[in-house]
Amino acid sequence: MAFVRVPRDGVPVTQAKDVALDASLGKQFTLKTDVVVVGSGAAGATVAYEMAKAGRDVLVLESGRYYPSSQFTEHLGDTMTKIYQDQVGQVNTTADIIFVQGACVGGSTVIGACVMEEPGDKVLDGWAEKYGLENLSAKNFRPYLDTVADQLQIHTNEAHEINACAHKVIQGCEKMQFSWKPAQRNVKQCALTGHCLAGCPSDRKMSSLVTHLPWAAAYGARIFSDTEVVRVRMLDGRARGVEARITDPDSGAEVATMNVDADMVVLAAGAIHTPLILQRSQVKDRSGQLGRNLAIQPFTQVLGKFKEPLYGFRGALVGVQVDEFTHTDGYTIFSGLAEPESLLAQGDMKAGKAHMEFMKDYKYYAGVNAFSRDLGQGYVQWDGDPYTGDKTIHWNPSREEFENMKASAALAARIFFSGGAEKVFLPTFQSLEANSVFELDAKMDEVDYGIKGLYTFRSNSFSPHGTCRMGADPYQSVVSPTGELHDTPGLFVADSSLIPESISAPIQWTVQALAKYVSDQINDNAANYFIG
Amino acid sequence: MKNNNRARMPGYLAGLEPLSRRGFLRTSVLAGAALSSGCSSLFGRREAPETLQYHSLTPDEVEVITRLTEVMLPAESYGLPSSTTVVPTVENIDMMAQRLPKQTRDLMGLGIWVFNNRPMVSFKFSKFTSLSDEKALAYVDAMQEGTFFERGLMTTLKALVALNYWRDERTWPGLEYHGPVTEMWGVRRLGNAPLPRA
Repeated sequence: MAFVRVPRDGVPVTQAKDVALDASLGKQFTLKTDVVVVGSGAAGATVAYEMAKAGRDVLVLESGRYYPSSQFTEHLGDTMTKIYQDQVGQVNTTADIIFVQGACVGGSTVIGACVMEEPGDKVLDGWAEKYGLENLSAKNFRPYLDTVADQLQIHTNEAHEINACAHKVIQGCEKMQFSWKPAQRNVKQCALTGHCLAGCPSDRKMSSLVTHLPWAAAYGARIFSDTEVVRVRMLDGRARGVEARITDPDSGAEVATMNVDADMVVLAAGAIHTPLILQRSQVKDRSGQLGRNLAIQPFTQVLGKFKEPLYGFRGALVGVQVDEFTHTDGYTIFSGLAEPESLLAQGDMKAGKAHMEFMKDYKYYAGVNAFSRDLGQGYVQWDGDPYTGDKTIHWNPSREEFENMKASAALAARIFFSGGAEKVFLPTFQSLEANSVFELDAKMDEVDYGIKGLYTFRSNSFSPHGTCRMGADPYQSVVSPTGELHDTPGLFVADSSLIPESISAPIQWTVQALAKYVSDQINDNAANYFIG
Repeated sequence: MKNNNRARMPGYLAGLEPLSRRGFLRTSVLAGAALSSGCSSLFGRREAPETLQYHSLTPDEVEVITRLTEVMLPAESYGLPSSTTVVPTVENIDMMAQRLPKQTRDLMGLGIWVFNNRPMVSFKFSKFTSLSDEKALAYVDAMQEGTFFERGLMTTLKALVALNYWRDERTWPGLEYHGPVTEMWGVRRLGNAPLPRA
């Protein structure tokens, strides 16, 4: 048995600057591998580890930069600049919803709030029945979820991980008799800095940057950053590699183009970019569902102002969740107040003296993120040439989804008032605040659906999914129950795109379990895919 | 694959007639992207130079943004660093604009233009930059309470200005916000997690 050594710190990554300095590679080069994995986030890192551990030659291509945790600054602004997708400028076509996504080695696991939740047995059994995914039934999928839980050290928050902000949520829930529970997080010995969104410089967040990627590298996987896959290369209808370009992350200058010859391609670039790669590659799609069924789990940030200073930004970012309505209505509310910059995602922040007073009250605030389930009716689309075109993300709330967002935000406001808030700022483009619970309904009624719900609630999405849904029927789904595209042998998807319908649970846990499942499907049938 | 340097067809400018709903909507779109991208310069935190030089913003844009910054962030009266002479808010926005894709940058300029020239009867059709302090603030508030596209544009421009001020760590003590703590607290780095047991 070979001795496997994991690096103590950091991940061995070939960056654009390394390629630029390597004269032997030149401006265009080709690499050969068994498996090329596109994306290094929750799914890509998991696949890379599982495949490398099984003895495959694995190459991971990540479009974002390598930003080692030893360089994290705990400045949210720095982090947004460097490793958030489009510098947090990834928005829908009407620019009123921000799709927050990591763009770095480790992907969104690096910048996430660490919140972990299973999809639930009912959801899994529903997938099994509705989409012919028997392997994903609660009984069959449980071992995958358990494995991921062990690997990521998922635990229920302990008392010291419940900060003042979360305590206000608890007080409100107790008075309202709403069910709440400590959130589950993938953190080891949390240092309670409150800087999760800027990355964890002490490596306590169990992101892919400190788990599956160094583990994969220990088994020989090669990882390239700054490398954006343009399209999948096909030969006789089968995926045979990818075409990529390497760019300097600071200047944007192209350093080289890369071709990869591979027996298998596994896409794990997330629910927005995976279907875009497939569209650029012009893969066959009998279902017509490629890029469609985009579910986004929209959430709004509701602020409550309390009489006493809370310093709600101190301590673990996410302490508790309100689960009273999760399974009945699809609303889930998580406590959390981040850096001052994050207040600007709340809604209108006023101007003049009103703005200054709004910001000066920062220490009196508690915050929650109010999630609601959507119907999964959005889509992503690549317009134009593979090299010079643009992505567009189409999602605006239907009236039903708008009402869900409103109800979720209103519940959050009621919880704050019950917890003693003297004012609640509503998460709207209009400047709305309620000074008592008795004003709340009237204020909420001022938020009108209008035209397609444009510029009503200031919403964000951290968990898009569903754009390459998995299923047994090739006329209803893009990906087969093994993870392979129905119509393209050798091409697999392993990320949140697979999730067949909108779910309300945060998706990272599910995604990593799905990625392990897909990896097992490949490894169990290796003779069909690999020579030797 | 977005190529930020490529020349764009001006098609997206078609229909951007001043004051049209579509125009405002598109402007808001740009501004939304700009808002988020606004974070791009958050790392700046440079000292305010004595002579400001702008690389991307035009003089007209500088005038509008500076005026909006003055109106929106009367920081000194709250014991906070000035938003124009200490914290280089406008220069930070300029740095951001340099890094924006051309299409977004063009739309940003359009948004600023529309904001400055949006005629309102109650303001005697004056430009924003020619309004008194009191009326300029009232104009901003009126935009915020306007139609959906007006509030979209206003929210985004406010966020653009506010982000590029509050990102500066010199503003944080005024909020009693602690900023980075890991090093100060002496928190030990744990490094990579060990391999899972087979």
